[in-house]
Amino acid sequence: MRKSVNLGFAILGIVWLGFAFWLTTLVPMRDDARDWFGSLNPGGWMAWTFPSALFFTIIAGLLILFTYLAIRFPETPRKGVLGITTTRGDRLFISLLGSAFICLIWLGAIGTPVWGGLACAIIYAAAVFRWV
Amino acid sequence: MEKPLNNRAWFLVLPVLALVAFSAVLPLMTVVNYSVQDTFGNNQFFWAGLEWFQDTIHSDRVRAALGRQILFSAIILAIEIPLGIFVALNMPKKGAWASFCLVTMALPLLIPWNVVGTIWQVFGRVDIGLLGYTLTKLGIDYNYVNDALDAWITVVVMDVWHWTSLVALLCYAGLQSIPDAYYQAAKIDQASRWKVFRYIELPKMQGVLLIAVLLRFMDSFMIYTEPFVVTGGGPGNATTFLSIDLVKMAVGQFDLGPAAAFSLIYFLMILLISFVFYTVMTKEGETL
Repeated sequence: MRKSVNLGFAILGIVWLGFAFWLTTLVPMRDDARDWFGSLNPGGWMAWTFPSALFFTIIAGLLILFTYLAIRFPETPRKGVLGITTTRGDRLFISLLGSAFICLIWLGAIGTPVWGGLACAIIYAAAVFRWV
Repeated sequence: MEKPLNNRAWFLVLPVLALVAFSAVLPLMTVVNYSVQDTFGNNQFFWAGLEWFQDTIHSDRVRAALGRQILFSAIILAIEIPLGIFVALNMPKKGAWASFCLVTMALPLLIPWNVVGTIWQVFGRVDIGLLGYTLTKLGIDYNYVNDALDAWITVVVMDVWHWTSLVALLCYAGLQSIPDAYYQAAKIDQASRWKVFRYIELPKMQGVLLIAVLLRFMDSFMIYTEPFVVTGGGPGNATTFLSIDLVKMAVGQFDLGPAAAFSLIYFLMILLISFVFYTVMTKEGETL
């Protein structure tokens, strides 16, 4: 059982990596350089760009990772500083939702680029996983 | 004893997953894609980065719509929840009369949103509407087409008419579940009517009231059809709530980028509020 789960998720991980690599090959060229913000499928369905595709790929990767962790290392929900019972998945959701708001606040108060906001969001996520 | 582990049942979720992917996840992804790009039509997109998000955050128009939306939801909750409780407390507990009341109360809930809008649009008209005509004849200057306050009153009263029954029915169900023994004990202790309400009925209604508040808040926060049919967001922008403004931006002006950024921020707000409500509700369930 454990072996098959490990194997299944290993295959899934490889597929995920392959997908991420495939995305980078789709990035269009402009003036002999990769145009990272160009359209991945010009005139096509859903108007994909590399950053937005990468965003969803990372979210999907996180979901796969947390599914694996939940199956492989089952946990008991715990009560943190907020006084609510959370599992790892709940903490991931709280982290992602909070991160979105942190980046929006950064964007509103300071403006682009939002790397600083992203850094704050990562610190926030770490705090959520440690204490919530 | 080791529990048999069989996760194959998860495959039964696949049809739902496929359905949700096509009806919700893919459209949401498309909105995210649109929110970072600009288009001039013809399905040609150009990278715009986070410009639209910045514009939305600093937009006076969006802020004003958000302010109106919060005010509207607050008014709706402040009226419908106490009124619903009051109606539920005064409904007959059993007998034919109780069934009659239940059916009558359920009627407004069965009417589609745009029909409710049309009913009130005609009802409030000064020339042919019963309400508008009567008020004008009584010497009250009422015109929801020109006057912002009148438009607000009409929209709020319409929502109260449409949805108070939901709160009342939920509270009624909560009240019905209280055993008679509680009332008998209160009578023996000579508790006043207020004390019976405060210490027996209100705590017992807590669960359903939370659901009522959640439902009414979410619904009023996302309201579109009724005010759109009655006032069209007017006069001026007086009743332009978030979703009306969003549709104007996306469909009316075809500003896909800004509208996508706007709708994502709107979505995040709803997600946050739903999460808070959900957490509070499940926490209540744990302590009960």
